[in-house]
Amino acid sequence: MKISNEQLKEMYLTMLKIRKFETRAMDKFAEGKIPGFVHLYLGEEAVATGACANLRKDDYITSTHRGHGHIIAKGGELNYMMAELFGKEDGYCRGKGGSMHIADASKGILGANGIVGAGHNIAAGAGLAIQYKGTDQVCVCFFGDASTNQSTFHEGLNLASIWKLPVVFVCENNGYGISVSQARHQAITDVSVRATAYNMPGVTVDGNDVFAVYEAVGEAVARARKGQGPTLIECKTYRFRGHFEGDPTVYRPSGELEAWLKKDPIPRMENYLKENNVITEEEIKKMNADVDKMIDDANAFADNSKVPALESALEDVYTDIVEEGRIR
Amino acid sequence: MRTMTYAEGIREGMRKKMMDDPNVLLFGEDVGKFGGCFGVSAGMFDEFGDRRVRDTPISEGAIIGAAVGSAACGLRPIAELMFMDFATVGMDQIVNQAAKLRYMTGGKITLPMVIRLPEGGGVSAAAQHSQSLEAWLAHVPGLKVVYPSNAQDAYGLMVTAIEDDNPVIFIENKTLYAVKSEVEDELKAVPFGKACVKKEGTDVTIITYGKQVLDAMKAAEALAKDGINAEVVDLRSLYPLDKETIFKSVEKTHKVVVVSEEVKRGAFSGEIASLIAEECFYECDAPIKRVGALNTPVPFSMGLENYMLPNDKDIEATVKSLF
Amino acid sequence: MTSIGIVANPASGKDIRRLVSHATVIDNNEKINIVERIVLGAQSLGVDKVYIMPDSYNIGYRVLDKLKLCEELKCEIEVIEMMRTDSMDDTVSAAKYMEKTKVGCIVTLGGDGTNRAVAKSVKSTPLITISTGTNNVYPVMLEGTVVGMAAAAVASGKFDVRLFTARDKVIEIYKNDELKDIALIDAVISKDVFVGSKAIWDMETIEKIFVTRSHPASIGFSAVVGCKTIIYAHDDFGAFVDINNGGSFITAPIAAGIVDKISAGDPEILGFSDEYEYVTKNRGTIALDGEREIEFSDNQRFVFKIRRNGPLHVNAVRALETAQKNGFFIANNSDVSELFQDNIGR
Repeated sequence: MKISNEQLKEMYLTMLKIRKFETRAMDKFAEGKIPGFVHLYLGEEAVATGACANLRKDDYITSTHRGHGHIIAKGGELNYMMAELFGKEDGYCRGKGGSMHIADASKGILGANGIVGAGHNIAAGAGLAIQYKGTDQVCVCFFGDASTNQSTFHEGLNLASIWKLPVVFVCENNGYGISVSQARHQAITDVSVRATAYNMPGVTVDGNDVFAVYEAVGEAVARARKGQGPTLIECKTYRFRGHFEGDPTVYRPSGELEAWLKKDPIPRMENYLKENNVITEEEIKKMNADVDKMIDDANAFADNSKVPALESALEDVYTDIVEEGRIR
Repeated sequence: MRTMTYAEGIREGMRKKMMDDPNVLLFGEDVGKFGGCFGVSAGMFDEFGDRRVRDTPISEGAIIGAAVGSAACGLRPIAELMFMDFATVGMDQIVNQAAKLRYMTGGKITLPMVIRLPEGGGVSAAAQHSQSLEAWLAHVPGLKVVYPSNAQDAYGLMVTAIEDDNPVIFIENKTLYAVKSEVEDELKAVPFGKACVKKEGTDVTIITYGKQVLDAMKAAEALAKDGINAEVVDLRSLYPLDKETIFKSVEKTHKVVVVSEEVKRGAFSGEIASLIAEECFYECDAPIKRVGALNTPVPFSMGLENYMLPNDKDIEATVKSLF
Repeated sequence: MTSIGIVANPASGKDIRRLVSHATVIDNNEKINIVERIVLGAQSLGVDKVYIMPDSYNIGYRVLDKLKLCEELKCEIEVIEMMRTDSMDDTVSAAKYMEKTKVGCIVTLGGDGTNRAVAKSVKSTPLITISTGTNNVYPVMLEGTVVGMAAAAVASGKFDVRLFTARDKVIEIYKNDELKDIALIDAVISKDVFVGSKAIWDMETIEKIFVTRSHPASIGFSAVVGCKTIIYAHDDFGAFVDINNGGSFITAPIAAGIVDKISAGDPEILGFSDEYEYVTKNRGTIALDGEREIEFSDNQRFVFKIRRNGPLHVNAVRALETAQKNGFFIANNSDVSELFQDNIGR
């Protein structure tokens, strides 16, 4: 699979953006600046990056409760994302969605989602729209291992398969459904084998290897664009943090996190780029500094954004109805 | 004037919009060659082809989810669930996805979609194929809910539903499909949020919708013989709700009976009653009464089912209790 | 005590070949079934102990549980206690342990890649290799029960192993004079710049193919050579060909369901005393037995050698024939008779 040095650098930059955005979100949550739940993507950066590197702006993605990485990789704006996490007026969702509901239809981001498994059917619907219109777009559906126990997994993959919809189902198998390990939540280790039940190709790749993900999703996207139907790709990965911030992760066996930290996708890609003279130490430094600045800017943007006007709670329920408010 | 069945009204509404707009398509269980479980989409498969009239697997989550996803990407899907009861299987997609995506994303996603849900008893279909669950759906912000009682409204509300940029729950009544009613020569769209006064009266207001509009009219006829001049209001649209027409009628008659086929406990009729109690209590000179089904699942055997469901006699008796 | 070892790779049967070609899917529950059948076949002919490699899906423990539950387990099963890494290193370590423990025979379930890992640490223990799919050269498709019986015959020590084993050739790859890795069947130099999803399928990126053996009845890159010239496992040489370098076009099965036209030069024979030096001109990878393993940048020096340094490979069919000729299956000669009498006794 051909890939230019510019593309490689772009992918590395995306991974850095996710890593640093999430790290900042982690800190700001601890400071109390971010309300509610935050599910961080730290450790899984290679999946969103490798997958979305194959996509065009007019392609679609559906995301999950752990969605920041997908949204950044699909071109989401850090400023609006951070402002949304802070619950501010300039946030992507005007402060009405928060971390789990960021969407940007103009970039094909059909939304993070708070319901585990909700994306499978929505992605099939996006695939239906693409096929109906006869374009060569695709929809990548991100979901976790635990969501493959939901009926929606079966429904969405079945529909996509019988209608040969241009959907690439990308399972981020991070080994846990909240606190329950995969061994305890399903009787298989490899989600990809479920593809046989839908007569579609199923593939398992190392989800901490951005190239493996890029390559597999690339092949699946090419297949989908040609009208050959959906593919299931399982990326084995691990979340470095708990299910949500504040999760004490008592359910993890000792040593597990440490073992996975050694497989951190970012140093792994960095080493490759250095060893193959794609990037210099100087460039890496500069990229890090650039991303740090982007995150600082996003943070400042979020800080400076106003809290939403109360009446705005009444808008966006419908396109044409503003609900009645209350007088206090 | 000509006549048309309720099913034809729905079908003509769908056909009209499918001819107007290439982005409109219909899918659901057996809606294709089979023509739909109740024949509503009969002939549409042959007319529009399998690209626009699609059979789906028996997979309610996928039907609604595919409507959500395709609507988010620019289509205007009409999704049919064979029975309202099956909405329970696709409930996440209706309640958490269709109804909320626009709001949660601050308006970033628009879902122009229609979900057709045939409901109601009276056909010995027992408890899993006969429920009237509009209260569940009208309860959810983000959904519009309409329920025609006749062919003309079925057509007009369907056209408006497809044109609407929001998820619309289009409830149909199974026992009405074959019922013919008069329609104007040139069919027109019916706006949402506009109730229809089916019969003007001065003594009592019967507020209802769907199949019970027919029962209410029958009751009103009988009541007239006893000197009670009832006004019958067909809501047509449960949300948006035409409060103005309701209040105007109450201000005129000062007595209200709200009728629906729902199990009375937690019914949408309670919402109407409480609205009147909250906002025009002083216009009422008698308790607000409700007529609904008994608080049991819908039984199978015809006698039991008739006992459980409300009818025109129940309406008549309830009205009389106010005098 | 008669013992055997089983290495079942939980990761085989689901790589990208399912997407880019038409490869077989084998899920781990099917591998459990196969391992069960091997154990049942082996214990019926005198194997007392079976060592199984630990893995992420706990294939060994699941087999143990299932056979105990249905009251069919007669031998002892030991899932080797070792630090698991859930990588190819597990296969190498488990095989090493089995060789050290002096099991009489090792059975592997997996593809060429799995066997390459075993070959790294097993020199003297006879190896039976069964394929979990149809897409390999080194392992063969054989029913697990029969494999278990063959393993029992081999491990029994009653027969001269030379009657049914042969030492395999390997390709040794040296980087700066240090042995970097080995391949059992083929080594391919590719312009793919990263290891990525490992498998290799795009002929356009390929520069050279080295083979220990080649046959048109094989699948994969060795078949490219095999469609030009046949080299058997017993031939004391290997070969290499240049690809996409002006050679004539030849049709060959490079992957499951993919039969391509490939420009291949004439095979050049590499004897056991030959070595081939390759200095890289750009970035690329070396794929071993169909999987990209070694990444290189420009101006690096690799040496390829064909040597008969591989594992002692059992021809299971011939092992069973030897066993049959020597009366191994006559009930009195094995534990089968005791079992049989037990049943009558009830």
